[in-house]
Amino acid sequence: MSETSPADSAVIARSRQEPEVFAEIFRRHAPEIKRFVIRRLGLDDAEDVVAETFLTAFRQRGRYDLARHSALPWLYGIATNLVGRHKRTEARQLNLLARTGVDPVTEPFTSRSDERLSAQAVQRNLAAALVALPAGHRDVLLLVTWGGLTYTETAEALGIRVGTVRSRVNRARAKIREELGGADPTALVNEEVRHG
Amino acid sequence: MDELVQLNDFRSEVPAQEDLRAEAERLMAGMSAPARPDLRRLGLRAALAGGLAAAVGAAVFLVQSRPAPAPPPPLIRTVAAVEVLSRAAEHAGSRPELRPRPGQFLVYESQSMDTSEEDGEIWLSRSRRTIWLPVEGSAVKGVLREELLAPLPYPGHPLPSAARAEQALVGRPGRPERAADFDDRAEFLRNDYAYVSKLPTDTEGMRRHLYTRVPNDGLQDYEAWNRVGGLLDESYLPAAQRAALFRAAATIPGVVTVKEAQDAAGREGIAAAMVSPNGVREEYVFDRKTYDYLGRRGVVVDAELAGAPVGSVVSSSAQLKVGVVDRPPAVE
Repeated sequence: MSETSPADSAVIARSRQEPEVFAEIFRRHAPEIKRFVIRRLGLDDAEDVVAETFLTAFRQRGRYDLARHSALPWLYGIATNLVGRHKRTEARQLNLLARTGVDPVTEPFTSRSDERLSAQAVQRNLAAALVALPAGHRDVLLLVTWGGLTYTETAEALGIRVGTVRSRVNRARAKIREELGGADPTALVNEEVRHG
Repeated sequence: MDELVQLNDFRSEVPAQEDLRAEAERLMAGMSAPARPDLRRLGLRAALAGGLAAAVGAAVFLVQSRPAPAPPPPLIRTVAAVEVLSRAAEHAGSRPELRPRPGQFLVYESQSMDTSEEDGEIWLSRSRRTIWLPVEGSAVKGVLREELLAPLPYPGHPLPSAARAEQALVGRPGRPERAADFDDRAEFLRNDYAYVSKLPTDTEGMRRHLYTRVPNDGLQDYEAWNRVGGLLDESYLPAAQRAALFRAAATIPGVVTVKEAQDAAGREGIAAAMVSPNGVREEYVFDRKTYDYLGRRGVVVDAELAGAPVGSVVSSSAQLKVGVVDRPPAVE
């Protein structure tokens, strides 16, 4: 960390005496958290979830473990819990994509519709696989992939054991491989674990 | 292809989000509104609506380099403020005591002005009210009769259309209604007579009471100051507790004196005050001779924080009368 940008933990520590300083945590991480939430729920619900994520974080800043330099895993954990309140929205959109090939989540951001066509089969299978996963498995899988968190960070974010993260990722991957099997048979032999 | 790579690619066309103004605004609003119900009366929301919401863009993105706000200079040395409150404490026993009995009601007449907000608009609502509160227990059994007075523009803002609903009701005395549908105040925030007459009568004990479970968020002294008001407006303390309250209030860091103050009814006096985190000086006004508590007043001292010109009054109250009755009027 350079002098001009203290670690998140230092900012949070200072925000306990000077609450307005917490805005810096928002400035640093809100763009990424919002992208993650949009990928899960779409634009419509993202504003609520993101605002609520940072308000919750602000209220809980007194309990933040200052040994953790980056606040991202913590924020991802809060966001994931709040996304969980919109399970039906998430499932409805994944089901729509799986059935029709139209993804309401990415629609506002895509202009080059031709490029999407070739990938459609994979996307529809992925959507079908994701919606079929138990919510806890989907949460873990998407924190590891979209969130880029390590297994340890994912465990901290969700308050579960690292072993649980590992087994959920493995099982979720197996299910996705199954679902993608038709599209790409070589995926069946890939057993490598990249995180942890 | 690795399924994790494919998953990473899934919906990757969603770009990183740069326009977060709506979320920033909501965060700033939440950050500036401590979840303590009685702060509203002291005008916190007014400051919020005016100053902070407007400053959101700058505040969110510049906060790192902004120095901590300097505390506003006291108007007069703190020792003088202590004197106002000490005198109030000395005079606490100079009036005949009310001695309400269990089952009876204390009846308070008051006038007040506080900020109202709706649809992003802000104005000052005014009313005159009489409230009957049971000597013991929650406000749910209380009765309230309220008459609206003409609303006023929030300083520096036009009177919004939302205030017209109030305007239409001006001059029509309200009917007695239940004072509260629920009262879930924490024990230490109670202000019914049975409770307050058991509060400590020594300065240190009363001070501890004022700081009971105050969150450690940098606003502790202001919160304690705010709680003093909770025991002054529509509340009646026996003389011993009242004296202890004023002495304890004098020990709160940051209290200043205001030589010329006025309550909501225009009665002039001298005040002890503290500047709120939102740039409003929250005053408790006392009669200059008798040191009776008259009411409170909120005066802007930081235009940017409060969103109103320095010197403008954004809240006030006047405690006009207190008495004891056997029962409140019937609620229809």
